[in-house]
This record gives sequence, C-alpha cells and structure tokens, in this order.
Amino acid sequence: METFRKRLLEFLFPPETDHYLAILRVGLGVEVTLYSLSLRNDWIYLLSGTVRQLAEALLSLESHFIPRLGWFTALAGQVEVDENRLLFAAWAFLLVAGCGLLIGLFSRVSAIVAWFLHLCTAKSGGFASYGMDNFVTIGLFYLMLSPLPDRFSLDWRLRDLRAKDPQFLGFWRRVLQLHLCVVYFFSGLAKCLGSGWWNGSSVWRALIRPPFNVIDPEILVRWKNLFPLAGILICVLEFGYPFGIWSSRTRTIWLFSVCAMHVAIAVTMGMYLFSLVMIVLNLAAFAPGGFRAQRKQIGLQPGTAGA
Amino acid sequence: MVAEGPTIVPAWFKNISQKAQTFFSIALGKKLPPSNPTREALNTYANVAGIETGYGYFAPNVPGGYRLVFELHYPDGRVEYALPSVKSEAAGLRIADLLENIGRTPHDSMREILVKTLAQSVWREHPDVESIRAILGSVTLPSVREFEHGNRESYEFLYAYDFSLMNQPAKPRDR
Repeated sequence: METFRKRLLEFLFPPETDHYLAILRVGLGVEVTLYSLSLRNDWIYLLSGTVRQLAEALLSLESHFIPRLGWFTALAGQVEVDENRLLFAAWAFLLVAGCGLLIGLFSRVSAIVAWFLHLCTAKSGGFASYGMDNFVTIGLFYLMLSPLPDRFSLDWRLRDLRAKDPQFLGFWRRVLQLHLCVVYFFSGLAKCLGSGWWNGSSVWRALIRPPFNVIDPEILVRWKNLFPLAGILICVLEFGYPFGIWSSRTRTIWLFSVCAMHVAIAVTMGMYLFSLVMIVLNLAAFAPGGFRAQRKQIGLQPGTAGA
Repeated sequence: MVAEGPTIVPAWFKNISQKAQTFFSIALGKKLPPSNPTREALNTYANVAGIETGYGYFAPNVPGGYRLVFELHYPDGRVEYALPSVKSEAAGLRIADLLENIGRTPHDSMREILVKTLAQSVWREHPDVESIRAILGSVTLPSVREFEHGNRESYEFLYAYDFSLMNQPAKPRDR
C-alpha cells in the first residue's frame, strides 16, 4: 500500500521545469490576443441583446454561479453605463490580458482576467461558441492555477518575481497530460463508432461543409482515394493518443503527427484558432523535456533565473 | 452518443449505454432539481474548468448543417434575399454554430426568438423593408460519387417565420 502511494505521488508530482509553463503562457497569450482581435468588429453583435440574454437564462438553469457578462451589464445598468460600452471594455480588458500573458507581465493577474473574461464571453455567447472556447477555457484554467511566473516572463526577469509553489509544476503538467489523453481518446472513440470515418465520407463532408469549405470541392474530389486513409489515420491518432503519446518510443512521432493534423485542420478548414489552441496544449503537455525526471529544479530565489 | 446517436455498435450495446447514461446523469447530479446546491456546484465547476461538454467533435459522423435565408419584402413589391452576415471569418464560424443551435433545438419558442433576433439585425441593415420571411433549411451534402455526377449541396425546408416589422419595430439597442 505504501509503495502504491509512493508511486502515485511520484506519478502525480514528477520533477519538472517551467518550460512547459512558458509554452502554455505564451501560446495562450497569442490565442487570447488573436481571439480578441479577430472578433473586434463582431464583438457587440455576437454578445449583445436577446441572444445573450437567452443564453444566460439557460445558463441559470445549470447554475447561477457560472460567470457571464450579464453580471456586469446588470451592474452597468444601475449606474447608467451603456451596454455596448461595457462590452467594449470587456473586449479591451481581454485583449490587454492576452498581451500580458504573451509577454509575461503580471502573469497571474493576466491569467485570471483572461480566464474569467473569456469564460464570461464564451458562456454569454453560448449559442455561438464552439470547441475552441472549451479548450481555451481548459488551458486558461490550468494556467491560472499553475505556479506562475515562469523564467521567460518579464515578471521573472524585470520584477524578480518567483513562483511560490514550484513543486506543483509537475502536478499541473500531469493534469494537463491526462486531460488531453481523455479528450483525444474519447474523440477518437466517438469517431470510430461512425462508419463515415472508416470509409472517408466524414473527411469529405467535413471539408465541403459550410463554413469549413475553404478548398474548392472540385480540387478535393481529385484526392478522393486518400479520404478513407485520412479518416482511419485520424481515428488511430486520436484513439491511440493515450498509448502513443505516453510511450517514450512513440511520443515524438505522435506529438508531431497530432500537431500536423491540427495544422491540416487549420489550412483546409479555416479553423485557425481551434488548431492553435490544440497545438499549444499538446506542446505544453508533451513537448520534449517534460519526462526527464532528473531535470534541474528551478531556482526559488531571485537572481537564479539561469538555474 | 452511443445511446442516442446512429453508430456502428450493435443494438444490444445501446441498452447498456442508456443505463450508463442514466448512471452518469445521477452521479453528476443531472437528476437533481435545478436549485439543488450539489447540482449547482458540480455544474459550476464543470463550466469554469471547461469540462461540461463531451469531446466528440464531428463524431460519430459529420452532420450536414443548416442554412437561414431572409426574404426581404419591400413596400414596392420588390423581394431580395439576404443571409446572416458578420464581418470576420472567425465570427462566421460562430454564426454557423448559432445556426446549428437554431436547427437542432427541440423548443419552437427558442428557435423563433433566435431567428427573430437575427432577422432584426438584417432589418437594421435594410431599414426600408416591409416584412421579412426567415426560412430555415437543413443542408444535405453530396457524397463524393454524387458530386462527381454533378450533384451539389441541397436544402430541405424546415421552418419559415414571417416578421412584420411595420407593426413591431425592433428596439435600437436590440440586435
């Protein structure tokens, strides 16, 4: 029993450097910044009015404590602040938080603000949110709880700040690793249960389905013989992810293949932000370095940035 | 998904899946009253951590999608057509998701509210229209073979809503 407990603790709290945290922070900083910029012209349209109120009403059926923009609009209404101005302020704060994460300035505060505001917008715009929002929430949730700042941040280099609980570095990376394994395993399993991924029709349908029809079907149809292969490959990559990524012999090729799959999704379906967040999460979780148990621990005192 | 959706698993397994679904619904507090603190706490945690939904994207098969077309009727008898439009591709993905929700919801009143909201935004871009008919259809995608034989995506009529804007002007702050 004692041995099991020891092994479990070793598994959950492996020695870890903060390299993965830097990847997660910078990657999510880029993601949040691009997310804000890409929606700047449609922000008010997507988040104001009846659709938001309806989404929030449905959210209240789940729980009254799930963050939403309605909390702020209600407060703003009491002090006669226009809803559109408040929504613009939320957009601006989210953009600033994204930039803060990107350069690592006020890392913890930026992570919390980015997580909270993104969650509010994703929930309030629930009818128009999709998988990307879920993964950004997941990434920001873990980032917010991780021992920030990392050694590549401005907080570390300019403000001489150090993480208070670096022993949790390994734990949060392990949680992210396990979470991704669950995500890909069930995504792959679900695809394996449909005949379309085995005969390639799902690949074809995914590529010609509006608004993902980036490539002209006349061009796509020339590659029709590759669709079954692509479908099976996707199933194998996703369903086999927990096994392939965990083994040191196949980790690199699996990580490369999964990232390549997401690049392909971005290019052929126009889902750039979705692909970016998936690549960031994969690299943060499994990029080389994370499994070397004997890595040097990061320094806890100011002035040990090179440790 | 196995319990409800069309998959390749045998029928007997669906019964097991339905029982598993019931078990997990109870375990996750889904069967508790909405105001139950345990249910609210579980739902809150799942939502703030981003784990409230499954991960079966485009699975088990890729659905066809939905299309919403607005028929704009002008006082002089002219008729024009418009689609829900946004200014960026990123927002376009979200509008597609919104249409999915409109098409899939089993609640007629919710569908009507969502369609009406989109119609109001179209009306603001075309303020001189007399009435708008919103037509929601499902998109049927051709197979590779059908495409090679010249077939393209087709639409099946699902719902139509008539909005008379002369009698019910949209509020300026509303979408």
